[in-house]
This record gives sequence, C-alpha cells and structure tokens, in this order.
Amino acid sequence: MKKIRIIVCAKQIPDPEAPLSDVSVDAENKEIVVDAPQVINPFDENALEAAIQLKEDTDAKITVLSMGKKVSDTVLRKTLAAGADELILLEDNAFEKLDSHSVACVLADAIRKIDKYDLVLTGRQAGDWDSGQVGLILGEMLSLPCISLARDIRIADGSVAVKKTHPEGYERVRARMPALVTVSNEVGELRYISRTRMLKMLRGAASISSWNSEDFDVACESLMKAEVVELLSPSDMGRDCRFIEGATADEQAEKLAAVFMELR
Amino acid sequence: MNEVLILGEVRAGSLDKHTLELLNIGKNLASDLDGGLFVVLIGDGLLAAAKEALSYGPDKVFKVEHALLNNFNADFWLESLEQAVKQINPKILLMSHSFIGMELGPRLACRLDTRLTTDCIDLSINPARGPGEDGLLLRTKPVSGGNAISVFKCQGVPQMATLRANVYKPAKTADSQGEIVDMAPEIDESIVRVESLEIVKEDVIALDKADVVIAGGAGLGDEDGFEILEDLTRVLNKSFNNVMIGCSRVAVDKGWISPDHQVGLTGTIISPDIYVAVGISGAIQHLVGMVQSKKIIAINPDSGCNMFKVADYGVVEDYETIIPLLAKKLEELS
Amino acid sequence: MSPSRIMYWKIEDIWIFYVLAALATVIFLTGLAVHIRVWKKSAGCLDIPFSKKGLKRTILDTFSGRRILQGEISAGIMHLLLFWGFLSLFIGTSILSVHHYVISFLKGTAYLVFSLSMEVGGIMLLAGTIWALIRRYIQCVPRLEKRLEDVLVSVWLLLAVFSGFILEGLRLACHQPSWGAWSFAGQWMGGLFSPSMAEAFYPSFWWGHAFLTLSLIAVIPFTKLFHIMGAPVSIYTRESVSPVIPDIKDGPGEFNMEFNLGDLIFFDSCMRCGRCVASCPSAGAGEPFSPRDFIQAMRRGLWQKHFPSGDIRFLTRHEESKMDESFWYCTTCRACLEVCPIYGAAFEAIIRKRASAMEDGVRVPKLLNQTLEKIFNYDNPWESSRRQRGAWAKGLDLVDLTKKGAKAELCYFVGCTTSFDDTAQGMARSVSKILQIAGVSFGILGKKEPCCGDIARHLGELGLFTEQMDNCLELFNKYGITQIMTSSPHCFHTFRNEYLKAPFKVRHYTMVLRELIDQGKLFFKKGIKADVTYHDPCYLGRYNRIFDEPRQIIRMIPGVRLVEMGHHGADSLCCGGGGGRMWQDLDGDAKMGEVRIREAEATGAQILITACPLCRIMLEDARKATGLNETLQVMDLNELVLQALEGADAQKNSNPDKNGIYSYKEKQK
Repeated sequence: MKKIRIIVCAKQIPDPEAPLSDVSVDAENKEIVVDAPQVINPFDENALEAAIQLKEDTDAKITVLSMGKKVSDTVLRKTLAAGADELILLEDNAFEKLDSHSVACVLADAIRKIDKYDLVLTGRQAGDWDSGQVGLILGEMLSLPCISLARDIRIADGSVAVKKTHPEGYERVRARMPALVTVSNEVGELRYISRTRMLKMLRGAASISSWNSEDFDVACESLMKAEVVELLSPSDMGRDCRFIEGATADEQAEKLAAVFMELR
Repeated sequence: MNEVLILGEVRAGSLDKHTLELLNIGKNLASDLDGGLFVVLIGDGLLAAAKEALSYGPDKVFKVEHALLNNFNADFWLESLEQAVKQINPKILLMSHSFIGMELGPRLACRLDTRLTTDCIDLSINPARGPGEDGLLLRTKPVSGGNAISVFKCQGVPQMATLRANVYKPAKTADSQGEIVDMAPEIDESIVRVESLEIVKEDVIALDKADVVIAGGAGLGDEDGFEILEDLTRVLNKSFNNVMIGCSRVAVDKGWISPDHQVGLTGTIISPDIYVAVGISGAIQHLVGMVQSKKIIAINPDSGCNMFKVADYGVVEDYETIIPLLAKKLEELS
Repeated sequence: MSPSRIMYWKIEDIWIFYVLAALATVIFLTGLAVHIRVWKKSAGCLDIPFSKKGLKRTILDTFSGRRILQGEISAGIMHLLLFWGFLSLFIGTSILSVHHYVISFLKGTAYLVFSLSMEVGGIMLLAGTIWALIRRYIQCVPRLEKRLEDVLVSVWLLLAVFSGFILEGLRLACHQPSWGAWSFAGQWMGGLFSPSMAEAFYPSFWWGHAFLTLSLIAVIPFTKLFHIMGAPVSIYTRESVSPVIPDIKDGPGEFNMEFNLGDLIFFDSCMRCGRCVASCPSAGAGEPFSPRDFIQAMRRGLWQKHFPSGDIRFLTRHEESKMDESFWYCTTCRACLEVCPIYGAAFEAIIRKRASAMEDGVRVPKLLNQTLEKIFNYDNPWESSRRQRGAWAKGLDLVDLTKKGAKAELCYFVGCTTSFDDTAQGMARSVSKILQIAGVSFGILGKKEPCCGDIARHLGELGLFTEQMDNCLELFNKYGITQIMTSSPHCFHTFRNEYLKAPFKVRHYTMVLRELIDQGKLFFKKGIKADVTYHDPCYLGRYNRIFDEPRQIIRMIPGVRLVEMGHHGADSLCCGGGGGRMWQDLDGDAKMGEVRIREAEATGAQILITACPLCRIMLEDARKATGLNETLQVMDLNELVLQALEGADAQKNSNPDKNGIYSYKEKQK
C-alpha cells in the first residue's frame, strides 16, 4: 500500500491549564501576560494523536508544521517524541501576531512547498485566541475538501472517512484525499510522553528544519497583523463578587435563594 | 452599500432563536450605518420562514432555495451563500457562532478575501473620525480563556463576524415593510467534495439551550455530588425554563458524568442567564466556556479560588451544606 | 530376625519401575531447567550474588516456616506439617535407596527409628493435606482460591500418602512382623485385611503408589508445587529495596527489561496463597484489583513471552489474564510485602509495570497524564501556581532560605500537598508554630521549593523523578542545606531512600518533635482529655519503621489516652492516597479511607491522629462522607501537639480541671 503523508499543524501557546493567578492583562500594550509554560495547543495535540493512530494502522509519515516568531523546539519536539517523523518550524519576525487569514496563508505556502501530502490535520481551534478559523481557511486556500470537528478518522482506498461532531450526535462523512480535517477533542488526548523519551528526543539528532520567509515562497506583503483596538481584563467587565455571608449556613441559603428569585 | 446582511438559520420550519439575536444587533448596526438590514435564508421551501423573518422588520429577506440545499451540506451552502453575498454586496455580514456559522464563516471569509472574527460578544461601528477611518466593525471577543476581552478591527469587505449565542436579546417583531427576494443559486452535484453518509443521532445534552446551568467540579468529591445538584435543578425548574447540569473537565475525566455536560474549552461554550459553579476552582480552560454568562454564582469552601474573581455572587461554604438548604428555601419561595 | 524390610517384595518386572523413576526424574529436571532458562531469558542474566544474610534467611524461613506462621498460626502449622512430612518422606525414601543400592544399614534399631520417623512423617503429611483441604473447601478461608489446580494437587498428594499407608498395611498384614507396632498406623491399617487378601492386593497397590508418588515428583515444576523449588530462591534473592533509577542520558533503552530477576523468580514461585489479597487495602475496599491476580498475570505473561508452548503450569493455562489496567489501583502501601512468605514485593513490580506503561504512553490514564504534565509544568500536582507555594506562611514571619543572606539551621521542606491543599496547609502552620515555640532556627524554601518526586517515582515516571531529584539536589546545594525536616512521610522517604545520593540529613517532623521533647525544648503546659487513636502512614511506618516516635509523643501529652485500631503498626491500613491514587479517581465498593475511618470510630476515640498530609486529607474526606462529623475528629499529630502546647482557641469556653487539663468532650458540645 502507498505511504500516506500526513501534515499536522501545531501551535505553541501558553498553557490553557494555567491557574488564573498566572495570567494578567497589560492594557497599555494590549498584551496578555501569561506567566505559564508554553505548551502545544491541546486541540493540535488531539490532531497529532489522530495522526499517530492512523500511523499505527497504515504506513504513514507524519510531518508537523508549526509557525511563529520564535518557536520553542523544546516544546515542539514533543511531537517527534510522540511519533511524528519530521518537524518543520516556520520562524520569521514577519510571522508574529498575524491574523487567522494570514496564518493560514503562510501555512498554505509551506504546505505547497512540502508538495506531497494526503491529509492535513489541524486542531479545531487554538486555546489562546479561540478563533477556530485557520484550519478551514487553510482548506479553502489549498482547495481541499474540508471536514471539521472530527472525532474519529479512518483512511481507506484513497478516501478519508470521518465521524464529525453534529448538534444531534455525529455525522459520518467521506472525502477523497488529499483532504483537510480539523480535529476535535473527542479523538482523545495525546498519549503520555515520558520525560526519558522527551529528553532523548531533545538530546539526540532529530529531523527538524527551520524555514523563514525566504526559504519558501510566501507572499509576505499580503500578511496582516491582527489589529487589537483595545484589551480589557475581566475585572473591567464590571464583575465584582458579592460574598453572601450569614451567621449560619441557613441564613446564607436564604439570602442566596433571594438572589435567585431576583434574577428570575 | 451600507447594508447589514445576516445569515438566518431555520430550525424545524421557523427561525432559530439565535437568528433573532442577530436581527437585534443587525438592526442596531444598520441604523448606526444608516443602511438597510437584510436577511439571507438558505434551504428549500423557505416561504414561511422568510415571512417570519420579515415580521422583525428587515428591509429585505433573500430566499436562496434549491432542492440540494434541503439539509445542511457545507459545500452546497457555501457555494450558494458566496453567490448570494457577492450579488447582495453588503457592508457587514453576520452569522451565529453555531454549527453552521462556525463552518461557513471562515471558509466564506477566505473565498471573499476578507477577515472574520468568530464568537463575538459585542459588535459596534468604529466612528469615522478621520480619513481612512471608514466606520469599520469593532468586534469584541473574549480571548485567552476569558482572561481578557479583546476588541479587534479588521480590513476587508464585507466586514464579517460570528456572534456568540445568548449574549444579545432576541429582536422584537416590528412593522414589516420589507420584501422577499427569491434567489436561485447555480449549484449542482459536482461541487460536493465531502459526502455525507448518515447522521447518527445521540442523546446530547444541549447545554447551550439552558437558561440556568448548575455546574459541578472536582470539589464535589465524588459522583454522588451531582445528585445533590440534580435536586437543586428540580427545584429551580419550577422558577426557570431550562435548568441543566454542567461540569468541569475534571469531573468528566474522573468519570462522574458524561462529556456532553462539560463546559469549557474542550466542552461547550455557553452564556446562560445564570451559571452556578459548585466546587470548580476556575482553570482558564473552564472559564472560557462560561465567563460570559449573565450572572455567575460561585460556591466553594476556598475563598481564594479563582472562580470568585469572575463571579457576581459568592458563597464560601461546603456545597453539601448549602445546596440542600438552598433547595429547601427555593422550594418554599416558589 | 532383626527388624528390616524386604525390598521389591513380590514385585516383578522391576525394570518398569526403573524406567518410570528415570522418566519422572527426567521430567522433573527438565521442568526445573526450563524454569531457570525462562528466568535467564527474560531477565537477560542469572546473576544472583552470594549473600550470607540471604542464605541465613533462606534456611531459617524455609525450615522454621516463620513467615507463614506469622499472622496466621493455623496456616503456619498446616504448612509445617506438609513441609516436614513431605521432607521426611522424601529423605526417608532416599535413605532407603542408599540402603538398598549402596550400603545396607537399615537393620535392627536403625530400621525401627527409620520406620517410626517415616510413620510420623506420613501422618504429618496426611494431616497437613487434610487440613489444607478443610481450610480451602470446608472452612472456606476467603483468601484461598478454588481452582482446578488446587483440588487436583491436594487430592493427588492425599492419594499418594494414603496409598502409602495402605501399602504398608498390606505388607504388615502379610508379614505380621513382631516390630509392627513401630509402624502403628500401617499396623492398624493392616488389621483391615486378611493376609491372603493383602498378598493378592499388594503388587497392584505397590504400582499404584509408585505411580502416584513418581508422577507427583514429576509434576512439581508444572504446577503450583513449583514453590517447593522456587520459594527458597525467591527468599534468597529478595534483597533490600533498591530504587530503579534510569540513566536518562541513555534514554529509554533501560526499560527493555520490564522486570528484574527478583521479580521474575517471585512471580514464578508464587503459589497463590493470597495473603497479599487479604492485606491489600484496595482489594479490601472492594476495588477490582488484587496483587495475586497481578502476579499471576505477570507470571503467565512471562511464560507466554519466553516459552514456546506458553504457561508451564498446564492446569491454569487456559485462564484468562485479568490484568488490564488495574495496576493503577495499587497505593504502593507495602502491606503485601509484610505478609508475603517469599518476600514478594508486588507493589515494586507494579511500579516497574507502570514505568513501562509510561514509556509506552498509550496506557496512561487521562488524569495521570494531566497530573504528570502539571507536575512537570508547575512543580506540583495541585493545579496551582509556583508563586503561591509559600502563601500558607503569610503572617507567620518565617525565614525564606532562598532570600539573600537568609540563614537557618533547619530547612523545613513543606511538600506540594501541605503547601497547596486547604486542609493540609494547617499542618504547615502548626508545625511552624511548634518550631517557633521550641526556638528552632529554621526556614522554608518559599516559592522556590520544588516537588521531591514521590508521585512521579511511584507512578513509574522515572525520568521525571530523576529530573526532580537533580533539581532538589541542586537547590539544596545552592542554598547550603544540610538539615531537612519534612511534613510528608512521602517526601521523607523519597529523600532518605530513593535518592541516589543524599548529602543532607532528612527527618520527618515526628522525629524532630521527639528530639525537641527529649531536649526539654517542648513541654506540655496544657493537657487534653481525649481518647485518641493513631493511624500509621505507610511511608512512615512500613517503609521507614517509624512506629514508636509518634506514639511516644502522643502518650506524653497529659490527659491523652492512646487506643489502637485493629490494624496498626506494620499491619496498618492505607488511607488510599499513596502511589498517585490521590490524583486518580478509581472506585470500589467503598473508599479505603472510609474503611479506615470506621475502624477508627470503632475504637471509641474522639480524635484520629495521622502524621501525613495525604492521610490527613483522605481521612478527613472519609469522615465527612461517612457522616462521622460529630463523633470523630481528624487531626495531624502536630496539630494535636500545638493544641497541647498553647491550649487551642476552641477550648477557651471550657475550663480546665484542677490539673489544668481541658476536657475534649466538653469542647465537642
């Protein structure tokens, strides 16, 4: 059987599991300051897990594509430790803070350079800006059949069969490859990558290449930054917790019940 | 061309509730722009729905009908919508951040070479202050798990956004002087790239339809904790329309409750009227799913927990103590 | 005529017997060789270093049966009967062969002594076998299984011994020797037959007996009877607990061997006695886990992997391996090792099994995956920010040893759980206050305090553990820390026994308190009138044999009376929080903590004392869940000590009696 080539797009983001106390808003510079470790977007990890599961059943090669101004390979090498074959980092100052359309544009150009592929997998959205756009736009740009919110992916006879999440349950769909699929968390969490495995990957030679805007044909002038007009912290939203107190729990319950009645 | 176009969704023959919310905000934006409000409906046999849409006072309702559009198929719908939008050429195009909007929005934006902002909680028109400031759409959206609210501005025509459900009030009916315009899309079987084989129905808890969500997290201690929440739900159902049980990811991972109850980044993103967080500490990935709720009530024995930072009301108490008492009091009041 | 025996009396075609005996010996030896080969194949080597201690232990344990007597005398006596009965008959038969083939000496008195010992041996074996059958099938001791192998082996043994007695009876009935009374049982048996009948039956019984005994010898390597050979080896190879720390520079290559030789010999020698199941807190709480099933599944796995025809124990060959993911249930409480007659440390093998699951990645449960990610990212498993680590110390005015110029003699290593959990934070505050009262120069590491690695170690994430060990050592070195006191027995154990090197002295706080009391730096002004019971934390008690210090401290508090629970000391029941169980959600019929709290309640004590943050949390939760809020209070030892030192605020309302002792019961009202 022919070797299936899978491209997984993975984004590095501040840990969305971070405790709230590690996050603050710098309204002046319109930046979110997160004092938390960088991780791979959990949905992209789901996409990677889906790819690895496919690789377990069929002969496949997995290429991970990650883009940013400065991509930490200590974070992204996890994908190789997990079972990806190749990691391509797209790093360039021009790639910083791009809007979804431009991100998709860069990824599309990189994928065109990779040239041979059967399946492009992305997470359904990223855990930082929660847009959920890049995958679908990428599909359009590459003129691929697009399937979103996959919870189960199978490959057979040059087609990809997907169970996609649907408001009433799930929908079974099928498309000819090459195709693009955005992956939902139902696929399953990325398998655990032990530290020994990770450290071996960090120390050893791995198949990693880094491309900047000159290494592949990217239409830089068309890239646009996401324009943030204003950034507010949630405390600016006028929420101020009123603690319901009382001498006894009974009294607290009574006051709380009154709140419910008021909100009715 | 100062029109606002909204994509209406039809459910079981009548307009979706969230389409009414779009009509409301669309009307505001249209009046700010001094332009018209248009609605586009896609499907087959849409006359009743179009008439219903008209009763909310838009200037035009475009009825894009084709036998192939009967059920939602992204490839057919996208092609038809693209043709319609190109023909109508509105200044602003809005959709619900729904199953349909989430799929069509980004793809359409790409085809129209414009920029989309998804899952917005507020939209307004940037006042034209100087040259070049031509009154673009300001798109407000929670980011980074609700830890920040960002206002974006984007170039491109039309200005596109998808709107989070339940944030705006539904539009009220108004004098209808608008007209229904029929449109026939040029589509055929050959454009389908993704073939739908079947839809398998499952019992899904549609949390996004709830008015009140009582959510439990790790602090419940075990799955029996949800029984206590259920009791409260039963009582609240007498005073509120649609009360449902939600939960944090930990509760799902621990196997206490099925995943369709999960609120947050990997679950459902909701904004009910009242969100009661019981024993949920408030990790970012959970907050992203509920921080836009109208009122948030947090119950947790730890006064330092993050949930209180985003709550309107807080009770520092063990839930096993307070919830049964609360249920009793509510029972007396209702 | 002097007493003796005619060999092969009335037996013809004796060569058949020789062939059978040779066959049995060959089968036995082949089986033995196959076992050793499989050990070697799976462990990669057969290096068993000579150990005088091990040899002494093996001889003592084997011949005295002390490990088996320990805990259950009835089972111990049964085994002694079987062991000595079997051994004396085996030796006796060997002597008989020597007498027949080499040098004929069993005559006269020697023969009579021989005959009597064989008689006694036979009776012991018979009694032991019957007792064993009664225990298993009539008394139905819960820990004993009822598999085909169990009934077959016992009945086989029974028939072999019984046929021996009949044979002896027949012989005596024919010969009617004057010394027949020395073989009293055979004599009695012979009375049942007429001499002519006996003579007619004798040959067929002889062959029957020969077949039964020879085949019994032959099947030893192929049934649970293999423990006769394996158990002494397992006892010999079980050396002191040594940590398995991978050399992370070489990567996961180390893990190709899942288990070490000791584990494999243990698995192979296990004869399913089930003492581990009876002592396992997880199995006791009705969770779907049993150390015995784990061991047997691993044993079967071992054979399936390294022996072409699968499990050598042919009678259990078709049983399914039930061991799926249940090894995540083990709390690593070490109770199974306390009771295993052959020192089998199932929990250590489980950690090694977990380690291979970690390397594999796919079989790691979701919650553990997330917990380990958190430990890696935030240096604690509690979803909390590093910056909040020292938050509990607010207002206590403690020295932060990581600040410039800060100096103190003792470093108080708080630990993750004590730092972050609401319930456990009280322990940190009270122990700090006690040290302040005693005037000890001590400091904490504040937000720079790392995780000691206990959770990673016992979940089998050995790479992460090694990193954490290196972190801690580096930090201690940087700030010149040489004296460490921990709140958690887990940190204490990890520092003391799991670190490859420990250039510092580590003590659990109970040891420090004991010393401070001895030095007169702490004395109890106020008494507390209460009955208390003490729960031994596994990692303090069983792992580090600290049973007495906490009890001594409790007894020193005026007014306090210590009552013991059914399970205490080395026999203590785990709270269910160790080995990473705190961060999983696995269910059984009851929670382990609830089983324990009910035991505490049964003592009638008002306070349950522990000395571990995990126990403190688990037992507090269990107390709430069982609705014992009114009658029982859970406290950490240092919280009790602090109360006795300063008189708790809660007691202000009640008045001390004339001796200055507060009554705890009054406080409850």
